[in-house]
Amino acid sequence: MSLKLLLIIAFSGALVTYVSGKLSQRLRDVLAVLASCASVVMVALFYGKSIENAFYLVFLDLDLYLRLNTLSWFFAITIAIVGALSIIFSLSYIKKKERTDFYYLMMLLVNASMLGIVLSGDLVSFYIFWEIMSWSTFLLISYNRGPALAAGMKYIIMSIVGSVAMLIGMLSLYGSYGTLVITELAADVPSASSGYILFLLLLFFTAFGVKNAVLPFHTWLPDAHSEAPSPFSAVLSGILIKMGTYGFFLIIYVVIGLKVFLNLGQGLLSFHYILSILGAITIIIPSFIAVLQNDAKRLLAWSTVGQAGYIILGIAFGTSLSITSGLFHFLNHAVFKALLFMVVGAVEYRTHGVRDLNSLGGLIKKMPITFIGALVGVCGLIGVPLTNGFISKWLIYKTLILEGSPFLAFAALIGTWGTIFYSYKLIHNIFLGQLPEKYKDIKKAPFSMQIPMIIFSLIIVLFGILPGIPLKVINNIVTSFGFESLNINLWGISSETGTLNTVNIFVAVIIAVIIIWLIYKAGRRAVKVDQDNNYAAGAYVPRDRYHYTVDFYNPLYRMISPFLKDFIDIFYVKLTGWTRKLCGKIRLVYTGDVGNYVMYIVLFIALLIFIQLNWSVWK
Amino acid sequence: MNIIWMIFLPIIAFIIGIFFLGLSRKIMARIHWRYGPPVTQPIIDIIRSFSQRSVSHGILFNLGIVFSIAGSIVVVLFLPFGKICPLSGSGGLLVILYLMLLAPLGIALSGGEAANPNISIGISRKFILALGYEIPMLFILLSLMTYYKTISIVEIVEAQQNMGWSIISLPLLLSGISYLLVLPAIMGIRPFEVVGAPQEISSGPMAEYGGQFLALATVEHAFSLFIGIALFVNLFLGGSGDILVPVENFLTSAGLGCIVSFLTGLAFSLKMLVVFVICLFINAVYPRLRIEQAIRYLWRWPTLFAFAGLVIVLIVGR
Repeated sequence: MSLKLLLIIAFSGALVTYVSGKLSQRLRDVLAVLASCASVVMVALFYGKSIENAFYLVFLDLDLYLRLNTLSWFFAITIAIVGALSIIFSLSYIKKKERTDFYYLMMLLVNASMLGIVLSGDLVSFYIFWEIMSWSTFLLISYNRGPALAAGMKYIIMSIVGSVAMLIGMLSLYGSYGTLVITELAADVPSASSGYILFLLLLFFTAFGVKNAVLPFHTWLPDAHSEAPSPFSAVLSGILIKMGTYGFFLIIYVVIGLKVFLNLGQGLLSFHYILSILGAITIIIPSFIAVLQNDAKRLLAWSTVGQAGYIILGIAFGTSLSITSGLFHFLNHAVFKALLFMVVGAVEYRTHGVRDLNSLGGLIKKMPITFIGALVGVCGLIGVPLTNGFISKWLIYKTLILEGSPFLAFAALIGTWGTIFYSYKLIHNIFLGQLPEKYKDIKKAPFSMQIPMIIFSLIIVLFGILPGIPLKVINNIVTSFGFESLNINLWGISSETGTLNTVNIFVAVIIAVIIIWLIYKAGRRAVKVDQDNNYAAGAYVPRDRYHYTVDFYNPLYRMISPFLKDFIDIFYVKLTGWTRKLCGKIRLVYTGDVGNYVMYIVLFIALLIFIQLNWSVWK
Repeated sequence: MNIIWMIFLPIIAFIIGIFFLGLSRKIMARIHWRYGPPVTQPIIDIIRSFSQRSVSHGILFNLGIVFSIAGSIVVVLFLPFGKICPLSGSGGLLVILYLMLLAPLGIALSGGEAANPNISIGISRKFILALGYEIPMLFILLSLMTYYKTISIVEIVEAQQNMGWSIISLPLLLSGISYLLVLPAIMGIRPFEVVGAPQEISSGPMAEYGGQFLALATVEHAFSLFIGIALFVNLFLGGSGDILVPVENFLTSAGLGCIVSFLTGLAFSLKMLVVFVICLFINAVYPRLRIEQAIRYLWRWPTLFAFAGLVIVLIVGR
């Protein structure tokens, strides 16, 4: 079995699904699930293998390669799993909408192209898959039309800017070294001058930063995530933006190499330190902007920007622990953010498109499984101990503190407080409090939506209690970058400077819960009362309006909201305004009068003659 | 040995916490020129509440409070109490910082299901207040961890036995002052009693608790009182050991290790008592601030001190 086969199945699966949709809906659903699950199984079978082979010789005089190593396997398996589960989630979500065949085609195409990206062994095929991904993403973001079109446009414009930057970088690399195969570049590039490497890094940073939504390239993300269909938001937030992360890993640690990267610049002005600070800012500001949001998906979108900051911080800081944390957080974030988008998607599905946090409430009694998903997801996002998010955040805090960067650590820790704020708001406003009358007949989420949520919840808890499972794979990647191997057990990391033992915590928590539960049970049995049977200091409890959600953190809003405008977005919007005006002015030369056009031609020829006479440019 | 302590330590913590609760009512009463209830009143209340009928709003309402206490118990196991720290090797100060979240989170989830706006307002205030004191608190913790170059609370305590208490070692002085300034906010006493605020939002998160829920909430309060003060004593007042070093050596050589544990525990409790009584005096004389005023206070002097403390630690080093 070869990598070629995997990609062929992934891509042809998308096309076959589309065609079969014209015959029967049921067949299409089955094929879509089969195609996505097939890639999970196939990727899983590649575990531990290292492959590099040419798959289509001589494209523009270049060899195209497919390549598999631990890094790409790690990303590929995450992509395959999140992709497959979001297809399963889509089954009922998308059923009653229009253009469903097209939706499945695009979903599968995005998944396949992401697999292509992480499996490509040279930058040309990387770029080709990258563009397939970008454009099918654009089509999916604008799937709902209306405001989604504007969101998609914003995305594709920024994406093109990134792609162009990448293309320039590639051309320059090809001009200098005559090859675009990653392994060959990895041998040549590290010896280049530091100015050239900085130039390359800035270009690729633009390309990958746009995808990964690093400040100042994040502005497309909140719009795109909130307008896209929810299962695709899960893919978008969980794995698609992480292609930028993969790009960072590829360019920083595979092509340029650790030593060169860390030695670029000096002290506080070194490139990796500046990138770390950028990561820290990307953590803080978006995390608190998320607190201000009233749209559930927009809140999660801003949260994604913030969490991506942790990954960037981990990558940029450049110690073995921080990179482990960055990679682990990538996995964790893919899992819990996909889960949370699915939760919001399920609520949206049952309430017929309500995402406004101020008009929901009390759904815990109607959608218990969805609530558990939300709770586990939120705990992972915050990093509550015994969920996977805790491990990755613990690692990054630890390395930042012990390596003497307390301010970066402060940024990471305070970002977590922002996370707590919006997470509780999300859970409280949707699931807790009083159930409005209009939602009293709501049903629980369909089974096909529950399965992915349950699987994701289990993964979060499993990796939280036994973090050794993913850490072992991650450790192999980190050692392949040239770090020393970490001492990893099934229950965490042990080292001289502080050990982590999640199993101890788990056992302690379980025993404590059991004891307290028994004590609680020993008391008199509590009488279950209705939601209207509340203490209101003797006043009448109004139905339907007895839920404190609007401006949940009002005193805080008043203090921090003036500082938390998205100034960068405002700037970009102004920039587009100016560009539009400028182009409007330029357009005025097209008067529609033939005489004018003749005049332009004559003037232009006159200019050419003038140039030739003076400087004799053309021999 | 560790397992025995794992069972006993939460009980000790509970007894100390509940004693402090009773004591606080007594001292407050004396400051008000009243006689006040007996010190055992909270225990009597707990027993009485347990036998009373209560109302429940759902499973999460029941489970939230259970998780909250469980979280507190686990934190207690991570905090060195004298010489004893059963879970010292499982993650250190960062884990404590996170585990301390479980208690408010459990209460918040439990209260959330009760569908009472008073509760929601209380919780929202709790989170805002927590952000208020957490900013100086994080600076303080980071300066401690940077100064002692460890993330383990046990090592911080041990380092203080060799180098003297953190609060009197010069580079950490500002951090210590800042910690003292935010300590009332961490414990949620006046002037930072915005979360409960009985006359204003009907005790906030406690509004729907009755019967055994109220009893459990009191237990949780006792634990959080213990944790709040014990953390301060451990981080800045040298834990327990340093007063008794010569005695300790003698006793250990005589094979009476358990007496050492007892004595250090006693010293630790005495330090906690002193800190608690100081906090009570503050509680007695100040009126309640509004939440904005509280934040404005917390983000001004304590944050400034804590920030300056971190900068000093970075410059001076160890």
